[in-house]
Amino acid sequence: MRWLPSAILLVAAALALANAGRLSSYWMHVAIIAMYYAILAASWSLLAGYVGLFSLSHVAFASIGGYTSALLIQWRHLPIPVGMLAGVLVCGALGGAIGWVCLRMSGPYLAIFTLGFSEIVRITISTEDDVTAGMAGLHTDGLFTAATRLPYVYAAFALLAVSLLLMGALVRSRWGLFLRAIREDEQAAAASGVAVARCRILAFAIASGFAGLAGGFYAHYIGIMTPSVGDLDEMAKLVVMTVIGGMERLPTAVGGAFVVQVLLELLREYGQWRLPIFGVILLLTMRFARNGLITPFWLQFLRLGEARVSALPAAPTLPQKEPGT
Amino acid sequence: MSWDYLFVQVTNGAVIGVIYALIAVGVTLIFSILKIVNFAHGDLYMLGGYCAYYVIELLGFPPLAAMAVSMVALFVGAIVLERLLLTPLYSDATERKDEYGLIVTFGLAYFLRNSAVIAFGPFPLKPPSFIPGVQRIGNVIVTNDRLVAGLVGLALIGGLLYFMKRTIWGQALDAVSQSRDAAAIVGINARRFNSFAFGFGAALAAAAGALVAPIFSLAPDMGVLPNIHAYVIVILGGMGSVGGSIVAGLLLGESENLFTAFFPDPTRAFAYTNAFGVLVLMLVLMVRPQGLFGRRHLRME
Amino acid sequence: MRVKGRWHVTVKLAVLLAAIVMASSQLAGTPAKAADPIKVGWVGPLSPPGGYAEGALMKQAAEIAAEEVNAKGGVLGRPIQVVFADTRGKPEEGTAAAERLISQDKVVAITGEFHSSVFLAEMEVAHKAGVPIIAVDVWALKITAKGYPEVFRVAPNQALIAAKYGDWMAAAGFKNVAVVYEKTDGGQSGRDVLLPVLDKHGIKYEVVGADPASTEFTAQIERFKSHQPPFDFFMAFYSEAGAYPMVSQSHTLGFAPTARTGFANSGGPAVDPTFWKNVGQAGRYVVTEIVGLPKNAWNAKTKAFVAAYKKKYNQTPSPQAIENYDAMLVLADAITRAKSTDGKAIIAALEKTDIVLGRGRYTFSTSHEPDWAYHQFMSAPVALVQFDKVDQEAEDAPIIWPRDIADVKYTYLKPGQ
Repeated sequence: MRWLPSAILLVAAALALANAGRLSSYWMHVAIIAMYYAILAASWSLLAGYVGLFSLSHVAFASIGGYTSALLIQWRHLPIPVGMLAGVLVCGALGGAIGWVCLRMSGPYLAIFTLGFSEIVRITISTEDDVTAGMAGLHTDGLFTAATRLPYVYAAFALLAVSLLLMGALVRSRWGLFLRAIREDEQAAAASGVAVARCRILAFAIASGFAGLAGGFYAHYIGIMTPSVGDLDEMAKLVVMTVIGGMERLPTAVGGAFVVQVLLELLREYGQWRLPIFGVILLLTMRFARNGLITPFWLQFLRLGEARVSALPAAPTLPQKEPGT
Repeated sequence: MSWDYLFVQVTNGAVIGVIYALIAVGVTLIFSILKIVNFAHGDLYMLGGYCAYYVIELLGFPPLAAMAVSMVALFVGAIVLERLLLTPLYSDATERKDEYGLIVTFGLAYFLRNSAVIAFGPFPLKPPSFIPGVQRIGNVIVTNDRLVAGLVGLALIGGLLYFMKRTIWGQALDAVSQSRDAAAIVGINARRFNSFAFGFGAALAAAAGALVAPIFSLAPDMGVLPNIHAYVIVILGGMGSVGGSIVAGLLLGESENLFTAFFPDPTRAFAYTNAFGVLVLMLVLMVRPQGLFGRRHLRME
Repeated sequence: MRVKGRWHVTVKLAVLLAAIVMASSQLAGTPAKAADPIKVGWVGPLSPPGGYAEGALMKQAAEIAAEEVNAKGGVLGRPIQVVFADTRGKPEEGTAAAERLISQDKVVAITGEFHSSVFLAEMEVAHKAGVPIIAVDVWALKITAKGYPEVFRVAPNQALIAAKYGDWMAAAGFKNVAVVYEKTDGGQSGRDVLLPVLDKHGIKYEVVGADPASTEFTAQIERFKSHQPPFDFFMAFYSEAGAYPMVSQSHTLGFAPTARTGFANSGGPAVDPTFWKNVGQAGRYVVTEIVGLPKNAWNAKTKAFVAAYKKKYNQTPSPQAIENYDAMLVLADAITRAKSTDGKAIIAALEKTDIVLGRGRYTFSTSHEPDWAYHQFMSAPVALVQFDKVDQEAEDAPIIWPRDIADVKYTYLKPGQ
């Protein structure tokens, strides 16, 4: 019965994709944006949740990825996928460099360093407006020419699925074990032979690459890039999503992105109140359910496969430490 | 460029530097006791400014008295927040306290900033001047409000230093910041000092907010940039070092002013002023991951 | 084990996606009944990081317009309902807001917006859906230059505004101008249009950009002060909160407005209700634009709106507010004449608009020459005023440009005279 959760997910995915065309244009947009944030949330959880690197420059990398792709296409008339790939590579390289530079920094220092980096990125993009068009916005070509958003739904889904597959493979490999060991105790990990430096740089490079991928997709979906794509407000939104979902697992982070983005849209009628509400939810989550609000449901769901019908184990509501999925 | 021009810029840099330092001192104080970086500090500063504004407008207090009221209000408010949100930091059951402190204060900032728009409205507000008018020394023109902010700021920082070094409570606070265990052995209740330090840091932020309100006007997102400035200063000055904050505050005020004044490309000079401070911060962290003058703090655990 | 795990990863988000499918099929809009109100969308910034102060003013004016229309029996026998959508000054939120208004709320048309970059994202959505959208206070040329039939603009655009500043500076005899602009779309496009006009008139300038979050300008102003030859004019393009400290600091440091150096800010804050409370003495002699009719040319509509706004919100409406009020009424008028809420019919009716409202007689150009003229309110009023008293409301300030509507003899009042 271990295949049961997988089968349920697969069927649900197939159903969702088959019916995606019935969504209104608005909900397609919400789904696409949610998937953009989902890629960011998953890759940020790889950094912050798995390795414990609380980077605040993650959306800045999305912004770099988007601008790289948009500008290369503008200058060199590359095909869009090539531009996006270039964005991924640039972000990966830059992310690796940032990871290398802040090897010796721990918790709060790393957060401040990356906060600084993202501010510099934002200020540079808005200042060099003869290249980037600044706050007026850089116009980009759409990935598809169709009048409907459906192709974007499929494209976003494909990108998210591929990203999750790759990141999932990584965290379940030997490397994933190393990454977690670093988070628990960096010195102990180093003592037991984990190449801490290499792991941290690798994690930064990979996570930033995925952020660049999300950013590239965003650029060619919205059709306009502005420096606000990578500002601290966006970073705060990403933290809210990932932490509320559960930052220690890829699926819960993804779930957080979906739930928060959809709720933000549903709560639009409450206007300005919807943002502070999520601030409160974040604080409550951290205070009382640090593993995230989706995590218990996810663990319960995974247990579907193991459970005997007669003796469904009573899951602890908030397991303190669970190995990754 | 003449010496006169340099003198003007250096003087202005010193005044703004003291104001920056005042904001940063709270961050440093909170860090030295609670071992967390308060990402909501800029927003406490914003709240302090608004609080003083409403005390002036609604209760008719004179500005300096309003500043004091605002400090008390934020002191109490911050202790409530600390009790509600930060207590897991002191529990042995909590893992990865750094991460907890980061996310909670980050979330608090998000909450406060977005609530402020609803609570205070979107329009910039400006309380009356402390003392209207300007002072002229040669070609230097400094508004009285800046002088008041600078002098009161210095007085507050001086008072804090005196308090830390000369009073029994302050010495206890200092002891807790150096070693919680040693402090506990000599009978200091460290828990109490957590609340106290967080409240004290918030009160200093409130003072800073009230002092700069007549200079820059109040807006719900006014805390974002000073927050980053404060980090630049505490990293330069060393996390947990009050004296270092003053030196670093002056250094930042001066270097930003001189950067704007002498950067060869005038079109970009001003736009990159904020990036300049941040760049300094990043360079310092790369060379010395624990800050320029920082003593290495033992982890809380 | 690993294969199984990968399995999970491949499909894990599907449950969530399915949940969205279900949620949205519940939420997919129900068709409007004839007795339902006619819904009109409003987009604009109501929270940071957008220009939420201006957005709030525009929202208030749109509410007044809707109340007025409904008090007179509504449109086509149905009341008008404005659905407000906050865009937070972000293109992505603008796209979402426009999508939601069109596909969920089924609005028949959209008005509003304060940020050009956001409007450019919104109008793509409106264009695809064939829903008319009236730009209220966005000045980028590209908006009408794209030539979308759905897009109309009641605001003047950069070419109409910044050119006026350039011409006026030449007429007032300024030779050396310091230009500061905030790094927002408004500030940037103001700079882009002004500089060629200054070049044309042979006026020298130095141009400086500023991070919109900055409120400390001392060092930069001192740099301007030491410039040789001295600047005789200081032109700021500020549409957000930084404008107030800019005005205060420029004045207290003795740079501008002074007998030696004039001062102007373009972008709105100088005509906001909070201007004087924030800048005090420093605001005297400041030049700014009003994008409405000058007071001596006010018609009955303008007076009625100003009175209604003052009564309801206890402050004078800003020009953006009047723009949004008029935009709502232009729309109501077009729907009435179209006798339908169909997008194409409303667009056809909008093109034939000829109505006198708070900012004069509205007509929309259908010419593509120059390209930004298409669906632009070409005679959108723009006047430069200069405060000659502290606490003066913008509507009472003397008009100095253009000369045909100026109500004072001078083109520029030098401080100290």
